[in-house]
Amino acid sequence: MEKVKIKLTVNAREYELEVYPNQRLLDVLRENLHLTGTKEGCGIGECGACTVLINGDAVNSCLVLAPQADGKEVVTVEGLGQGENLHPLQEAFIKHFAFQCGFCTPGMLMAAKALLLKIPDPTEEDIRKWLSGVLCRCTGYQQIIDAVKEAAEEMKKC
Amino acid sequence: MINCEYLKPVDLQEALKFASQFADRARFAAGCTNILPDIHTGKLRDCVLIDISDLKELTGINREDDFISLGSATTVAELLNSEIIRNEAPVLWEAASRFADPVVRNRATVGGNLAYGSPASDMSVPLLVLDATVLVQSMEKGIREIPLRNFFVGPGKTVLSPSEVILRIKFEPLSDFKFYYTKFGKRNAMAISIASLAVGIKLGKAIEEARIALGALAPIPLRALRTEEFLTGKPVQTEILEKASEILLSEINPISDIRGSKEYRLELTRALFLRAVNNILSLK
Repeated sequence: MEKVKIKLTVNAREYELEVYPNQRLLDVLRENLHLTGTKEGCGIGECGACTVLINGDAVNSCLVLAPQADGKEVVTVEGLGQGENLHPLQEAFIKHFAFQCGFCTPGMLMAAKALLLKIPDPTEEDIRKWLSGVLCRCTGYQQIIDAVKEAAEEMKKC
Repeated sequence: MINCEYLKPVDLQEALKFASQFADRARFAAGCTNILPDIHTGKLRDCVLIDISDLKELTGINREDDFISLGSATTVAELLNSEIIRNEAPVLWEAASRFADPVVRNRATVGGNLAYGSPASDMSVPLLVLDATVLVQSMEKGIREIPLRNFFVGPGKTVLSPSEVILRIKFEPLSDFKFYYTKFGKRNAMAISIASLAVGIKLGKAIEEARIALGALAPIPLRALRTEEFLTGKPVQTEILEKASEILLSEINPISDIRGSKEYRLELTRALFLRAVNNILSLK
């Protein structure tokens, strides 16, 4: 298969890569760039574990054809905080014990980040809707919702 | 062995040329929310992906005289963000709000959802009830206008030839109708429909016109034309609606699958239909 040249920005760093025509953004992140924070759950767009941001919108990176990421700005969970400083969402997740096994956490964080970019002051209903495509098989949803609520409040103060 | 190629045409003409050149191997790729799972699960092994996601001819939600025209590469999220859709086609807006989840909606396109030809296609039901027309084009056949109700052929099959692309979908908003849309799945988000139904009624002293569209209840998403005809000119009475629901059940042909049995789907259809009509009547 003939590779496709793409240029993209991931977590504010520019990359020029050659990708396979059928490669997924998920594979580019994990295998080409070794950003393994983004997880593969189902691989068919059902579980949300691989959620990342493209130009500020949440997408399932297993449903994004790598060549279509050309020219796009991608943010993964590694780009959420700044250096050693965690993002308020991450701080709130720790405070509320909003994870058990942690596998869905990167997806939850990125879907929540997309929500707060669009709706800085979400209702509980908003949070439930925006996170509805990310599955937590430990079923710790309530703590996650509480954490997002608190992060939104913290971020308003900044 | 997987053998895929990726081509990014500069404009619609080039896209059509590529599609014609690669014929059966050509796959138009926009949101890729069906294509990538098909590649991942081995269903699709040999293809030339023609990226149409950025073609300006296939984007935009416009008012054109009496019609609303949607580019086929419009995402479900773009439908939800459109004031035109929200105000003038609330039945389509409602269906968009129940489509998968907010994350998938950022990628999935209206044209892709139709072209994939799933019997449970969630965009087809509101568009069928609006009696939408699909505008398609290929090098071989030029531009064709196909009523959506003649578009689906069987599970995963449509009247599109492999080199034909959906350009736009257009419909009249029908402001004198009242609509109701419902989707029934195992959960609210990310559910593949067990049944979905849209009803539109134009009500005068009696039912002047009725439209009913159904998803996941037959090999294709379909309009219940015999039930619609029966209801036309009839007064709104319980016996009439009961009789209509009997006809409706004779027009569908649901299967038993992992989501529900045939018997369950039949009973569900009756309940959803009566609920839809009652909802519309209470809208006055």
